[in-house]
Amino acid sequence: MGTYLLRNLLQRLVLLFIVSVIAHAVVHLAPGEPSEVDPSNPRMKPEDVAKIRAAFHLDKPLYAQYGYWMRDLFTGELKSFKDSQPVLPKIGRRFLNSLPLFIGATLIVWTLSFPVGIRAALHRGSGYDRSTTFVAYALISIPGFFLSYLAILGVVGFFGVPVIGMRTFGIQDATPVYQIMDRFWHLAIPSLMSALGGIAVLSRYVRSQMLEVMGQDYVRTARAKGLDEDTVIYRHALRNALLPFITMFGFMLPALIGGSVIFEQIFAWPGLGRLGYEAILSRDFPVILTINFIAAALTLAGTFLSDVLYAVADPRIRLE
Amino acid sequence: MLLKRLLIIAPIVLALGLLQSYFWVPTYDAQTRGNPDRVVKFIEGSIGDAKILNPILNADGSSSRITGLVFEGLLDLDENLNLRGRLATDWSITESAYLTVIDGARFPDGQPVTPTALRARVGAAVAADSHLQGLVTRIEPLPPQERSETLTLPGKPPRTVTVRVRLPARLQISLTRVDQDFFKRLERVLGPSYERAAPHERWIDVTPVELRAEVQPQFSVLAPIFEHNPEILFKLRRGVRFHDGHEVDAGDVKFTYEAIMDSKNLSPRTSDFEPIKSVDVIDPYSVRIVYKRLFSPAITAWTMGILPEHLLNAKALAAEAQRRALSQAARERFGMRDSQFNRNPVGAGPFRFGEWRSDELIHLARYDDYWEGPPKYRDFFYRIIPDYLTQEVEFRTGAIDAYGPLPHQAARYQDDKRYQSFSRLGFSYSYIGYNLDHPLFGDKRVRRALGMAINTDEIIKYVLYEQGERTTGPYPKNTDWYDQGVQTIPYDPDQAQRLFEELGWKRNADGWLEKNGKIFEFNLITNHGNPLRKAILTIAQNGWKRIGVKCNTQVFEWAVFLEDFIDPRKFDAVVLGWSMGIDPDLFQIWHSSQTGPKQLNFVGYKSKEADELIVRIRREYDIATQRELTHQLHRLIAEDQPYTFLYATRATTVLDKKIVVVQDDGKNTPITPARSGDVFFDFNRWRKLEYTPTF
Repeated sequence: MGTYLLRNLLQRLVLLFIVSVIAHAVVHLAPGEPSEVDPSNPRMKPEDVAKIRAAFHLDKPLYAQYGYWMRDLFTGELKSFKDSQPVLPKIGRRFLNSLPLFIGATLIVWTLSFPVGIRAALHRGSGYDRSTTFVAYALISIPGFFLSYLAILGVVGFFGVPVIGMRTFGIQDATPVYQIMDRFWHLAIPSLMSALGGIAVLSRYVRSQMLEVMGQDYVRTARAKGLDEDTVIYRHALRNALLPFITMFGFMLPALIGGSVIFEQIFAWPGLGRLGYEAILSRDFPVILTINFIAAALTLAGTFLSDVLYAVADPRIRLE
Repeated sequence: MLLKRLLIIAPIVLALGLLQSYFWVPTYDAQTRGNPDRVVKFIEGSIGDAKILNPILNADGSSSRITGLVFEGLLDLDENLNLRGRLATDWSITESAYLTVIDGARFPDGQPVTPTALRARVGAAVAADSHLQGLVTRIEPLPPQERSETLTLPGKPPRTVTVRVRLPARLQISLTRVDQDFFKRLERVLGPSYERAAPHERWIDVTPVELRAEVQPQFSVLAPIFEHNPEILFKLRRGVRFHDGHEVDAGDVKFTYEAIMDSKNLSPRTSDFEPIKSVDVIDPYSVRIVYKRLFSPAITAWTMGILPEHLLNAKALAAEAQRRALSQAARERFGMRDSQFNRNPVGAGPFRFGEWRSDELIHLARYDDYWEGPPKYRDFFYRIIPDYLTQEVEFRTGAIDAYGPLPHQAARYQDDKRYQSFSRLGFSYSYIGYNLDHPLFGDKRVRRALGMAINTDEIIKYVLYEQGERTTGPYPKNTDWYDQGVQTIPYDPDQAQRLFEELGWKRNADGWLEKNGKIFEFNLITNHGNPLRKAILTIAQNGWKRIGVKCNTQVFEWAVFLEDFIDPRKFDAVVLGWSMGIDPDLFQIWHSSQTGPKQLNFVGYKSKEADELIVRIRREYDIATQRELTHQLHRLIAEDQPYTFLYATRATTVLDKKIVVVQDDGKNTPITPARSGDVFFDFNRWRKLEYTPTF
């Protein structure tokens, strides 16, 4: 097991290096230049543009630029093109903004999907099962931004309270309890909106897993032993049905850094997704590349974690 | 069964936990109505966040909006777009003219030119001419001078050369105002070909010698025979203080200039200040700017905010680098761009900086010691709401006081009695540009006929939702440079058809115009990502098809569009737009010397008459003369039709109706945009009432 982990770790490090090289090349070779060296500004002389390009190392060959990027990233002195502020603290602050949204959405997805999916599996073919199927497919097909607009217009229209942003404007003068509750309120709708797609997918997944497990021999055996139905379902069936979901925990790691561009944009949430999106629009290479690098590292770490978790949870699996 | 209960209870608890928070949130009504605190706050909505809050480093709209409130310039533009003193109380423009004594040259009467003879003769000419008498105040001989400078020659890689210039004796002539024809007035003394006798070869050494030939074309610039040095003397307002209490003085002006020119700072405004030769501090309240050459638009650059030297000079920056515990290498590279000042600016403007939460809001607070008296609003908030629909929601609920809606949203506000809506012309216009080197477009009658086939009014009505106006020439329509008398080209396909027939183009069996066996066919292109331009592409194509002109359209990604088509000038016709400044200089876009690759006169407009006007305009310092010249240039370009000028866009700002202007006598009056279209011109005197006023 130890050697397996070590070998796996090394492989992933090599993979991370390759990913970073490809990402760097793709970002730099894509058409367009940072807005600071915008050639369409008629006031800028070619000499000025050349000077800015040199300061950003854009006049160097690609491999040298990669070298500069890596050096600055690991010495913590990587600066954004846009405002010359250090990149890592910038990403860190935005990460903390996106984190509550991520946690909120994840909690909603995971707490809601299981009861919905299990019930649908237990009453297969019933009216409830068919209507959840319908709703799930509707939620998957309707774009999230559309539902979000409807939700904003609805809440503002019926309840007359602010929805967008991380907090109500001007709330900082209120007492801490109000401030905290206000944060929760502002979290509720965007996290519900970004969770809808997840609930639809995961509840379907839970349903099919449950159906598969319920048909297994050991469930029949459990029933034959005379156990009551709840014990059969929740102790024998559900536990086994849960196994594949362990791997999904691993996949959640990269979502941490990705943020959600669409929901952050609509709900004016100053999160990481918007930072990345705006960096792409203004070709702020250091920010784009660093977010991408962290996402790649987390993806690799996430899959590694799922492998390990799976082995821990399922005694039939051995890591060799 | 515990697990079963848990599975049911968990989502219920979560949902209740989140939803109960609703009861703690203040409603929009509670925030706006009967809240005395709300009326002293001005909240503006913006799509994008500011980038960098330093007036010499930013170039984007949001940052300029904030730095415009935090910083104060020497000058600004008044309601008619004329210059107005801010930190400067007063300014005068004079000139120092330099006349080189060419040893070995002769006067028209055959006498040799010597410093004393030249001085005597110029002096006599001035005494004899009443016009020159009022112009010249002093003539002073200057001894020969030597200087060396380093030049960078273009090429790959760029090379540097050292040039040593041995200037002979010169006369320094002080003039009371700038006169671009001054040396022409001395022609009686100097003779018509004085300049040509200059032996530049003898005055200039180039090291390394091999590169001499490449520097040669610049010799006459390195050692000019006639040199105009316009000078501006700014008198500064006394007792104006930065927000930290430090007084603004001439040293800050000089520092701001030096910071812009410091190549380490990568200022995007370098080219605006490049014509400056020196900035001299005369005393703490007067500063003289000497320019290298005649370039009248250069003065508008002083509308830019002045930086506090004491917070940003080398010592302050070194201290900051030390405080932030940066590595040795980073400390050496540490410059103004890296300073935290850019996120925490200190200026001398009407609002002091409060807080900046990235992509969320920027808060400014009233500066009570503002020299013109504090603004009426106590707080200014700039809320970043990146979505147009939610912006509208926030505006309609009263959570923001002002924002700039999209054209289709603007149309909704126009008839809405509950809001104030202002539509103003911007400084940009859209056009169809023809490659004038293309054989089809050589004749201006062809270009005129093509323009007649496009129904621009329809574009404005259906594509722009009326948020645009017809334009006829190269200047922004709301400046004085624009000649309002120039007629738009009428939409008249029949007349266009007749024009083509006069030129020998006949419709063939397929309906296309044909001459000598070739049909009238070309490509019209534009850049990707601008739906308006794409719509124009289709409308133009359709309009031309009706008169038998075959036009193929294509849309390209911006970088490809520039690199493959515009820069090498390989296109037939383009749909594009210009965003103009307020100055009348059109050199880069219309002068015939700017038709090379990567230059901005990519349509290849070459007109001797226009060239002369363009150069005269940028050298003219008298506004009335300048206006006359720009009108001539406008008429000339409108006549030549190198572009089909389409429209200038209008931008809308909507405001809460409770906002009024407080006049000096304390009366409230409705907001009226300045003639320039600027809605926020009187912003410091705006106030929000607790009721909706009727006027």
